[in-house]
Amino acid sequence: MTNDQQILDCLKDPSTKEQAFRHLISKYKERLYWHIRKIVLNHDDTDDVLQNTFIKIWNGLDSFRAESSLFTWLYRIATNESITFLNQRKRKMMSSLTDENEYLVNNLESDTYFDGDHWQLLLQQAIAILPDKQRIVFNMKYFDEIKYEEMSEILETSVGALKASYHHAVKKVEEYVKSHETRLD
Amino acid sequence: MKMQISINILKIKRTEIKLFEFKDVKAIYLNIMHKEEGNIEPEFMKRLGTNPFRTPDGYFDSIEDRIMEKIQLPEKKKSTSAGILRILKPVLGIAAMLALVFLLVNNPFTKNTVNTEVSSALTPSVKDDSTFNFSLIDESTLVNAIFSNEKSTVADINPDEMLAYLSSGLNEVEIYSEIQK
Repeated sequence: MTNDQQILDCLKDPSTKEQAFRHLISKYKERLYWHIRKIVLNHDDTDDVLQNTFIKIWNGLDSFRAESSLFTWLYRIATNESITFLNQRKRKMMSSLTDENEYLVNNLESDTYFDGDHWQLLLQQAIAILPDKQRIVFNMKYFDEIKYEEMSEILETSVGALKASYHHAVKKVEEYVKSHETRLD
Repeated sequence: MKMQISINILKIKRTEIKLFEFKDVKAIYLNIMHKEEGNIEPEFMKRLGTNPFRTPDGYFDSIEDRIMEKIQLPEKKKSTSAGILRILKPVLGIAAMLALVFLLVNNPFTKNTVNTEVSSALTPSVKDDSTFNFSLIDESTLVNAIFSNEKSTVADINPDEMLAYLSSGLNEVEIYSEIQK
């Protein structure tokens, strides 16, 4: 049961539903994990969001329409769950933070499962301060290497708008790194 | 001449092989993408190839079990509570009927005449409610009389709510006084 269509067929049958869902988790857990991790940065938060994402997927199986691919649908749920999670956290933390994206930078610095060197930390910090939409587009394009067309389906945004978002994101990241790299050299 | 060309090709190939061996795969990919799509990644981004994030050891091994456990938990709870309700339903029904019979038998209502119009039965002109003889009122009239002050009809009441109400620990006297309100 490796094919998405096979998984979907088995999900419709109550006698094979649970087993098929296990297959779905096995097939997509890592890709969704890394997608979420790049958005929320911290492992523990990612674990929470990933579990919520799969629970949402399970509860929404009946509403899945075959017009979009399974992969697109899963990515969309994972993206929405990540953004919802971040917004909730930011609202809670706003009283103590001057900038809402400071939460993400703190999250990254406190994550024990981040092994990046100075350059990688700098890049992640630069990405963390991007607006949510630009950050997601940047991660999907740069790290996950998802095509604009596919991204357009997942994020329900036009290809032109995505290219513009990516362009702005790259410029901002570049400016951030340039203004901070002298400290590292 | 031919010999010279083949040596040059070999040299190029060696250089390429070295490049692919030591250069970061990500950087190569970005170079290709840069040419193909007119991408705009600055130079520093090409230096970064490996994933700086990691997960706890064996994290992905147990994730299916944890998620399936979370999914099954609310469903089990739902089915358990439904099971209890299924067992209690007939018992509560019988208890409710007995309570009603007990009420009707043990409360001697002496007044023999009751208007069939419910509204008149509940008007302020009736001075002593306890003297009604409820046995003379047909069931639908009685039900209408009880619920006439409420916006909803009996049909609107959920049977589960009714059961919950009947089983809420009221004794017969309390139920009777509730009905009389």
